[in-house]
Amino acid sequence: MVDFEPKIIGFLCNWCSYAGADLAGVSRLQYPANLRVVRVMCSGRVDPTFVFKALSQGADGVLIAGCHPGDCHYTEGNYNTLKRYPLMMQMLEQFGVERERVRMEWISAAEGTIYADVVREFTETIRQLGPYKRRLVKGRDQVG
Amino acid sequence: MSRRITIDPITRLEGHGKIEIFLNDAGAVDDVYFQIPELRGFEKFCEGRPVEELPRIVSRICGV
Amino acid sequence: MAKLNLALYWAAACGGCDVAVLDVNEKILDIAAVANIVLWPVALDHKYADVAKMAPGSIDLCLFNGAIRNSENEQIARMLREKSQVLVAFGSCAISGGIPALANLKDRDDILRRVYLETPSTVNPDGVLPQTGCPTPVGDLHLPEFYDFVYSLDQVVEVDYYVPGCPPTPQRIWEVVQAVVSGNLPPRGATVGALDKSLCDECQRVKRDKKIKRFYRSHEIITDPELCLLEQGLLCMGPVTRGGCGTQCINANMPCRGCYGPLPGVTDQGAKYLSSIGAIMDARTPEEVDEIMQGIVDPAGTFYRFGMSTSLLKGAVKQ
Repeated sequence: MVDFEPKIIGFLCNWCSYAGADLAGVSRLQYPANLRVVRVMCSGRVDPTFVFKALSQGADGVLIAGCHPGDCHYTEGNYNTLKRYPLMMQMLEQFGVERERVRMEWISAAEGTIYADVVREFTETIRQLGPYKRRLVKGRDQVG
Repeated sequence: MSRRITIDPITRLEGHGKIEIFLNDAGAVDDVYFQIPELRGFEKFCEGRPVEELPRIVSRICGV
Repeated sequence: MAKLNLALYWAAACGGCDVAVLDVNEKILDIAAVANIVLWPVALDHKYADVAKMAPGSIDLCLFNGAIRNSENEQIARMLREKSQVLVAFGSCAISGGIPALANLKDRDDILRRVYLETPSTVNPDGVLPQTGCPTPVGDLHLPEFYDFVYSLDQVVEVDYYVPGCPPTPQRIWEVVQAVVSGNLPPRGATVGALDKSLCDECQRVKRDKKIKRFYRSHEIITDPELCLLEQGLLCMGPVTRGGCGTQCINANMPCRGCYGPLPGVTDQGAKYLSSIGAIMDARTPEEVDEIMQGIVDPAGTFYRFGMSTSLLKGAVKQ
């Protein structure tokens, strides 16, 4: 697995985690470049469809990060994340996806170091797990 | 001359079936094979489903 | 006007869709008045060889039900595509895999082993598994290849229209036939015989605020016949499912399982349902969520009951 560079998609909420990532940047913290960030207005906007689509299109891991419970810019949004995540993990397990591949974290705008630590640790976890072997459906010409 | 008669598909029943009839030189039936070219695997994929859901799943074994 | 050539076929299916066509009752005579049926295994005696002799495009309408489970299903699908002007994916199995596609949660070899070796009623001391070719003293026999994935029809051939349902209701089937006969067809690729709004729009039950403290399995609760089943704690897929079925399951006090498929614009019905179920749990902490989740024993098999083939994740993988 030496040559494996994980592709990780990170859905970061605009108000906390994205600002946390910004802080990690301006603080010149070093962390792996394997995480591709998608900014969303709230972690509650992260429909499980996004996570499944990321995995089905080549991501090896997915990070969902939002404000700490109680700190949501929209009051309730991140509680939806909190409630969906365990159910999503239960379902992913039935699909043969390891629990470690999809991670939920609360990262505030002040937690640049935590953001860098999470990315570093998560990238290492995915590197250990290896690539996500998605179920490919053959094109119409190659069915069988 | 030996001949082979294929009935494919068997009709007016639920499911898929095929019959191969082999005739000998005299035109009499030498051998007959009845084949089921279909499998869906309910025996396996019902495993892990909640028991109360099975009436709504196994009713799709045959809907005729 | 010349009669239409009509074909009805079942691939990996149960025959329920064919029987649903017969459920139009005496109107079947009206269908017979405008159409020559050239293939319909459940009711008539045409053979594959008869269809193979027909000219390309000579079938006006083909209602194809069933998923693509093996190489025979695929060959017939390709043949009917070539011979048909209009190919309709008819019913949940043809559209999105349906019940047979639950097998995508399992491994091909595990399925064969379970069915032919391990089931208690099986006697197979030599451990024989189906082979695609088998020589006998009188001649060779052939069986189709059992694929490792259950495909929807449009994953194998191009499909012109989709008629959802497990099975589609007779009323909707009749509307589809009328549309074809009158030539009054929507743009290609359209879903016909279903509403563009969710089942909840059609459902007559009283709906209030959705906050769920506990999910019940169907044997754990006697439901109120007037109130929304989801609000009573049953996993009803009405919110993420197309209407058009006449809420038949709900009328029988059973929650919707989503056979009419996702709403327009939704790619993955199960993920959408997961999203909405998460949102209506009445919980604030992970512990409360865990407790509520006790009532959801099989999210993959329940949320993708009819749509595994076309789901984003497609099925289980071995990592």
